[in-house]
Amino acid sequence: MGLVEFAAAKTLASSAVFLFITVLLIAAAKRTATCIALFAVQCAVITAQIVAMAFLHRSAEAFAVAAMVLLVKVIAIPYALLRILRRLKVSPAVTASTTPGQSVFIVAALMLLAFAVVQPYARAFALDSEMLAAATAIVLTGGFLMVSRKRALMQVIGLLVLENGIFLAALTTTFGMPFVIEMGIFFDLLVCVLLMGVFVFRIRETFEHVDVSRLRRLRG
Amino acid sequence: MTLWLPLLFPLAGALLVLACKSPRAATRVAFGAGIAEVLLLGACAVRLYASGVLEQGRYLRADGLTLFFLLNLTLIFTAVLVYSAGYLRHVPEGRFSSPRWFYALLFLFLFTMLAAYLSANLGVLWIAIEATTLASTLLVGFYNTKGAVEAGWKYLIVCTVGIAFALFGTIALYLAAVRGGVPAGNALDWTALMAAAPGMSAARDLLKLSFVFVAVGYGTKIGFVPMHSWLPDAHAEAPAPISAMLSAALLNCALYAVLRLEAITSHAIGSSFSHTLLAFGCLSLLTAVFLMIVQRDLKRLLAYSSIEHMGIVAIGVGIGGPLGLFGALLHTFNHSLAKTLLFFTTGKVRDTFSTLRIDRIRGMGRVLPYTSAILIVGGIALAGLPPFGLFVSELAILTSAFSGCHYLLAALMLVALTIGFGALFYQFQRMLSGESHMPRSGKKILATEAGAIGACGLCLLILGLYIPPVFTSMLHNAMAVLQ
Amino acid sequence: MTRALDVLQFLVLVGTAPLLSGIIGQVKARIQNRRGASVLRPYAELWKLFRKEDLIPPTASPLFRLCPVILWAATLAAAAFVPVLDTSSLLGNRGDIILLVYLLALGRFFLVQGAMDGGSSFGGMGASREAMVSTLTEAPLLLGLIAVAIVSHGTSVASIVQWTADRRLFELSSAHAFACVALVMVTIAETGRVPIDNPSTHLELTMIHEAMVLEYSGPSLALIEWASAIKLNLMLALLVALFAPWGIATSVSLPALVIAACAFLLKMTLLAVALAALESSVAKLRMYLVPEYLGMACALSVLAVVFTAFKR
Repeated sequence: MGLVEFAAAKTLASSAVFLFITVLLIAAAKRTATCIALFAVQCAVITAQIVAMAFLHRSAEAFAVAAMVLLVKVIAIPYALLRILRRLKVSPAVTASTTPGQSVFIVAALMLLAFAVVQPYARAFALDSEMLAAATAIVLTGGFLMVSRKRALMQVIGLLVLENGIFLAALTTTFGMPFVIEMGIFFDLLVCVLLMGVFVFRIRETFEHVDVSRLRRLRG
Repeated sequence: MTLWLPLLFPLAGALLVLACKSPRAATRVAFGAGIAEVLLLGACAVRLYASGVLEQGRYLRADGLTLFFLLNLTLIFTAVLVYSAGYLRHVPEGRFSSPRWFYALLFLFLFTMLAAYLSANLGVLWIAIEATTLASTLLVGFYNTKGAVEAGWKYLIVCTVGIAFALFGTIALYLAAVRGGVPAGNALDWTALMAAAPGMSAARDLLKLSFVFVAVGYGTKIGFVPMHSWLPDAHAEAPAPISAMLSAALLNCALYAVLRLEAITSHAIGSSFSHTLLAFGCLSLLTAVFLMIVQRDLKRLLAYSSIEHMGIVAIGVGIGGPLGLFGALLHTFNHSLAKTLLFFTTGKVRDTFSTLRIDRIRGMGRVLPYTSAILIVGGIALAGLPPFGLFVSELAILTSAFSGCHYLLAALMLVALTIGFGALFYQFQRMLSGESHMPRSGKKILATEAGAIGACGLCLLILGLYIPPVFTSMLHNAMAVLQ
Repeated sequence: MTRALDVLQFLVLVGTAPLLSGIIGQVKARIQNRRGASVLRPYAELWKLFRKEDLIPPTASPLFRLCPVILWAATLAAAAFVPVLDTSSLLGNRGDIILLVYLLALGRFFLVQGAMDGGSSFGGMGASREAMVSTLTEAPLLLGLIAVAIVSHGTSVASIVQWTADRRLFELSSAHAFACVALVMVTIAETGRVPIDNPSTHLELTMIHEAMVLEYSGPSLALIEWASAIKLNLMLALLVALFAPWGIATSVSLPALVIAACAFLLKMTLLAVALAALESSVAKLRMYLVPEYLGMACALSVLAVVFTAFKR
């Protein structure tokens, strides 16, 4: 078991780096399909983390949670999003209000902000500040994606990234919540994504475009 | 069994309705199922009143606070059910836009709100509140027009982001509980947290952080400014009965969640930290009343009025104390009745004038005399004038503000209420007076509409003149839960 | 003994530089389904150029002939800093990474001068573009190297390599990861490869480096071409030494040296193939996107530096 535990510990130690890299890559991505793939990679890293934690703490529940994350977030949701993307038949580019270079700068600044914000809490509760900062950075990047990307599907991806960050924060601080609650949260997320898919198609039918920055009829 | 049955029955009702082939059959089945559900809820309420606390399994629990909100939900649901029967005859057909789907989604919506009220566990509460967003989105976008689709999208996105923040707050609370010694399996259980709350005061910062996130998160669903951007759109574009459900039932449901969490936080670190709620309340109140002056759409006006009243409730909870809490809880009840009443009249107005733009509606007093009378009555109620219930609750909150020496706050509230009153009457007067080329409407008020509106108005009047002792004792039980 | 070894390393770096260019060209040709020129072709090129006559534009000053020499000398001096087979290098104890960076900058400065001195408009255009690119690459290059230096508690290349070689792969921190990505991006820009500059283009308006050397011929051109090959070789070897130095000889014994030589060859071949694959799969960036690309590299290197503070 020594090798497995070694691998688990090293996975936990280096996963923060991978998460940071996926965050930066999502900011710099130029195609929506790339963003979906990067989201799947991010969730895969989180799954690896959960499996590593399950090995280290010998908890069967954590394995079940890892299986759920794999099934729902790595396979089901990206597949659903890619299908929606294909059926939408819009141009593959990510229309955004910032260029990739500017986005990378902003996301880098958000990462530094995340680190700065997390320090007092990590010290007070003896947590791993790098993972907590990664979680906060993912949340902030999700928010940034939602604000700066103009297409409806990219807003959905930004929302999923944000929820990913919150889930990761839960994971870092508490090794996850009771299993039933986690199941409920995943189910909610899946239904949410499906519903958003329905709505993206409705937007396309009624407005003839999927650019949410142009949905400005209701104001005041 | 007592709690499971009223909880799961709406699911069965939804499936039954979906299985119907024709809209008429769907309406009848839905009506029947709805009445059955109301009876079940009534029986549950009586049982609950008699025994005080009901628990079932690990995740279901009902106490005094639940009873109060459950009663509110039952009343609103009954009114909405009765009203919808007549309203749905004018619905455009579309992919999810038939009476079958309307009732099915309505039952799903009811199920999620009941799950929120009956949850014993903060995690289940979160899941239920998120599910209310999901269940009601398709209802908001029911008409499938450009405005409805935009409103539905905004609602879904903004509320999901908000609820995600509430999840973060719940997790922070869980962390504080686990650090404070509560076993991990129970650390999301409300009763366990209330019991362990005094022992958690060591994690002050974490608890404050958690409450702020929860206030922001669930506050998005309540409609606190500045997270309110979805509310006017969603309430304006939804069908009238759904607007009533959203304004009256959903806002109260989210408020219930905040109340539960606020109870834990104030038990742990003292109620001096309710400044968050006071800040949100004042901001909502002031922003809403000023924006009400410039509104051009009747339902948006009513939506901003909802924000205003939720601000008042937040101020009441923030001030705390027996009088403040009494006023806040009573206000949620009264406001839901008044708002339902007013949203029901908008259906008739849109029917006759085919628009809800205030500048295009003229001379309503002559064209729709009965509806105008109801509108005026509703306006008086909503503005907080006697003899209706909102006067009593607002007076209670103001009194608690004065007695707690929050003079500035009370002054702000008075100014805002005055401006709100002025805005409401300015807008209503524009619609009611003036010349109109339309003849006096020959369409009769349907029995369903009259019944629903009449019931709401009657309850409001009763609550304004004389609060029955049963009701007062229920309120006191609810307050006891929180203190 | 170490002295002889250092001289050998230096000669290897300088001598195999054209071979590296040849390998990259061959791999690119194979990817494009051609047979391609032999890997020893660049040597033949240099030999041919050295025997030709040096044609000087009439408007040029004596600086024109001097610049290629200075460029070549500076690049050689920089190559003397990079450890190949063991952790020391010929000039390793005379300076640190900052000196390395500025030796390369010195060479580039004189190349730019020579280009402008030639008097042609393409020379001026290439010079201005090169100046822009080099201004923008200086910050990420320095910051990336400084981030690695902070983590390994020393600024000389030898000490950094020694520190990294003592650690295992998983103990490298996020600062290293970011610095690596930033330095890879900067290497591509500094050495003028796709997507910044296409070394095999013949369209003058798309050139950066090639436009600067349009006026050169004969031995001067040979020196410039050799210097740019040495620069590519040394930057790739530097990347290998800083981020993946495992296999490097820690003691001066024959088996260790043999292992080190094989490891070095393997890593350089891998990098050459990777570079060739990258060049074949990515399109060259338009000129106004180059600052964005380098801006991203700068953001990453700033992150690398800041992360060194957080991992403490």
